[in-house]
Amino acid sequence: MDETVLPGAGSHDELSAAALPAHLYIHVPFCSSKCSYCDFFSITDVSDERIEPVRRGLDDQIARWAELGLPGMIETMYIGGGTPTVLTTRLVELLRIAFDAFDRSDRAEVTVEANPDSLTSLLVESLAEAGATRISLGVQSFDARELALLGRAHTVDDALIGCEAVRMAGMDLSVDLMCGIPGQSVDTWLESLEQVLTTGARHVSVYPLTLEEGTPLQSACSEGRLRAPDPDLTATLMRIAEECLQSAGLRRYEVANYAVPGHESRHNLAYWTSRQYIGIGPSAHGMLDVPTAIAAGVLDPEQAADASRVRYSEADDLDEWLAGAGGEVELLSAAEAAREDVMLELRLTRGTTIAQVERANLMPVMEDLESLGLIERGGTGEQTRFRTTSRGWLLGNEVFSRVWAGV
Amino acid sequence: MSDPSHIRNFSIIAHIDHGKSTLADRILELTHTVADRDMKEQVLDSMDIERERGITIKAQAVRVMYEADDGQTYQLNLIDTPGHVDFTYEVSRSLQACEGVLLVVDAAQGVEAQTVANAMMATNADLEIIPVINKIDLPAADPERVRHEIEEGLTIPADDAVLASGKTGEGVCEALEAVVKRVPPPVGDPDAPLSALIFDSYFDTYRGVVALIRIVDGEVRKNMKIRLMATGVVTDVEEVGVRRPANMPVDALTVGEVGYLVTGLKDPALVKVGDTVTPAKHGATEPLPGYRDVKPMVYTGLFPIDGDQYPDLRDALDKLKLNDPALIFEPENSHALGFGFRVGFLGLLHMEVVKERLEREFDLDLLATAPSVAYRVTRTDGEVLEIHSPQDMPDPGHIDHVEEPYLTAQVIVPPDYVGAVMELAEGRRATFKNMQYLSKTTVDMHYEIPLSELIMDFFDQLKSRTKGYASLDYEFLGYRRGDLVKLDILLAGKPVDALSFIVHKDKAYARGKVLTEKLREIIPRQMFEVPIQAAIGGRILARETVRAKRKDVLAKCYGGDITRKRKLLEKQKKGKKRMKSVGNVEVPQEAFMAILKVDD
Repeated sequence: MDETVLPGAGSHDELSAAALPAHLYIHVPFCSSKCSYCDFFSITDVSDERIEPVRRGLDDQIARWAELGLPGMIETMYIGGGTPTVLTTRLVELLRIAFDAFDRSDRAEVTVEANPDSLTSLLVESLAEAGATRISLGVQSFDARELALLGRAHTVDDALIGCEAVRMAGMDLSVDLMCGIPGQSVDTWLESLEQVLTTGARHVSVYPLTLEEGTPLQSACSEGRLRAPDPDLTATLMRIAEECLQSAGLRRYEVANYAVPGHESRHNLAYWTSRQYIGIGPSAHGMLDVPTAIAAGVLDPEQAADASRVRYSEADDLDEWLAGAGGEVELLSAAEAAREDVMLELRLTRGTTIAQVERANLMPVMEDLESLGLIERGGTGEQTRFRTTSRGWLLGNEVFSRVWAGV
Repeated sequence: MSDPSHIRNFSIIAHIDHGKSTLADRILELTHTVADRDMKEQVLDSMDIERERGITIKAQAVRVMYEADDGQTYQLNLIDTPGHVDFTYEVSRSLQACEGVLLVVDAAQGVEAQTVANAMMATNADLEIIPVINKIDLPAADPERVRHEIEEGLTIPADDAVLASGKTGEGVCEALEAVVKRVPPPVGDPDAPLSALIFDSYFDTYRGVVALIRIVDGEVRKNMKIRLMATGVVTDVEEVGVRRPANMPVDALTVGEVGYLVTGLKDPALVKVGDTVTPAKHGATEPLPGYRDVKPMVYTGLFPIDGDQYPDLRDALDKLKLNDPALIFEPENSHALGFGFRVGFLGLLHMEVVKERLEREFDLDLLATAPSVAYRVTRTDGEVLEIHSPQDMPDPGHIDHVEEPYLTAQVIVPPDYVGAVMELAEGRRATFKNMQYLSKTTVDMHYEIPLSELIMDFFDQLKSRTKGYASLDYEFLGYRRGDLVKLDILLAGKPVDALSFIVHKDKAYARGKVLTEKLREIIPRQMFEVPIQAAIGGRILARETVRAKRKDVLAKCYGGDITRKRKLLEKQKKGKKRMKSVGNVEVPQEAFMAILKVDD
């Protein structure tokens, strides 16, 4: 891994407009409190003294990228975290600064990630007014006991009020739900699913809980204070979610995501279809093609030899990031990028094409996965597509790891 | 020439952990043989594994000069013997090189199985036995009880037993005084042709095989032409010397002395422990008594986890064999595990030590299959085969009968645990022979038991059922007929050669049932349901099922961090690599040793 050079060094004269990244991610590394299952980088000190330098740092970064003329015309933008809404009015300012700095398409999707405890109707209205089109709300569960166990700072009522505020502001609402929570039952899960359908959310994400090493929840389970989620039950809950949401008109379009057609997250689709995206903020990730990465100063031309794709991240230590230190850069060869494309596209219900598979030299792997009933093919000849099956969704790691490994 | 009247050759014998090596260290310190700054804990245990485990694997010999109370200086040759039952033959040869022993007994533990076995060996070799009650600094020390155990149980007078502590150094001088006063000086004929006993050897990369010897008659000098009587090899002596403990060349080794001899030979197999060194011409007519060929009794398959390491494993085994001629191996090919070696060992500890050295010193990742013993199979056509691996067992239709090695086992235990030992022995096809009270607190029990039962976790079971009090010693008894069958384990309907084992017919059902249950716990859920079956021939005795896994999917992808996602997948994949793919079933390594953990 090499250190990145922060943007500002290169030039993009040779980059055509069509090749410019159209997706932007801005990371806000603050949370009002740490959830019991979370091992991601975030800071719970939300005092002005702590937030202000980060805010200024983000402003500077935005300005630097803008000088480079990157990204191009923005199609999607996502402010994630952490919990961006803990910034309150500063968040609205941040949006305005980004919009001033970058061009965005008339139909751009602008999502703000939010938690119910810090999402007031006033803030929702200000965000909508500033140009946000979509709120992704981290509800996780509509069961009070489960929320407490997850260490969430909000109540069921907070969640319902938050959803209502988003709807009133005329924004698209996405709700995150989690299954496999210790103590969760089919009944409490059905309750959460029924509740989410009353909120008017046109997009729902369903994630199985992962016990991450070093989190309070993981130690509680390993020490026997809590019973670890049973994988079979979690599988059943995922199946139930599929049936419930699909029958309510939310179509599964990705392994963990359901949407009323036309309300899919275009930003997430950009990730799964290997579009370039720029990440700004501590621990933010980005993906660029080689010319863009060189132009952006993320990649030294001499290192570019066999690379075909560049993934980079910014420093995930706040002090380092403030001091201007770079994060990590990962170079993928053409073969690796091709396998990654197939891996990511298999997360989508529409699957991947035979052309992609052949380009990635993955035909034997696909045949194996097919014989295991994890993927299926549809169409004939050049129109052939490979799609993940219901069984494949539940055993996603098997599918993705075989595809990535290429064997 | 050293005057034999001022030479004493002695050994320290003890049950494991009774403080033999620490006492040896104190002797080296007291006699200024090793400078304080060079003093490592347990100097004579030179291998890392020996020092870590507190056991001696190879015999060592060191010469110390001791100024006794009578004002005269004596040459004391201390021969440190291996402390484990696997190496009984080496111990017996080391004792042949001595006239006396310090019998070290832990002041708290008292007499244990190897105390008895070692004391018997010393008595049979007609050696002067000086009891040393060690670790008297321990709070639980009870020297009077131990003295009683030595006298009653071992019928060795212990009135003048030395009370010592290897830790504090107390009593070490008294022990050396006792050696000088009580151990007889060596007797031999300086004018007779050279006759010297090889009691150990090691391989030096630059000089070849170096033998540790005790001169019985005559003398040996540099450049002499010698013959090793058992192997018939003739060679020139490149150097003779003594170990203090570093090698120090001398002009000659004479009657009664102990030292080393650089043979100039490159093949360790030619220099055998117990062999006699004599001049090539006009040598001794009779070899020294007691030589025998050591035969491995326990066999296991060793396979590199990474098949590419097979040549490295072969090289490593070749290198280890240089210092461990008892190690034997031949290539073995398993359908399940690929290419590896069938390796023969003197016993279980020997096996563990070798495996550990291969992994540690040669950086190999190894998978060991459950150990097996050497069976003798007589075919219906009269041919007799020695089988080292269940895979080589002929078809039942071609077997007339099978014999298996038996041991006499001795268990020493407090009376409260006699029942527990009997129960364990009962379950292991052991035949009770007799028992006697060594003292009010120790019972000496004797059994005849198949070696195959003993290598199945017997020692751990014995320890746990007696709360650690029991001690065990055993000796090869002979081959006996048994109603033995090969039990196959099938995964997903296919027999897995590396999991099959040979078992007594009466126990086949129980073992098969427990093992399939154990395997169900060990084998992780896979993409398919995996049936586990135990079978003799085509007959299924037991069946368990590992259910297919339903869910294996990672959580949310935060902010487009695809790299993290991929890394998690790679990590998961790496975990799988530690497993062996058998057909399409991923089997963790511990499955191949599961049979050892089958608790009766």
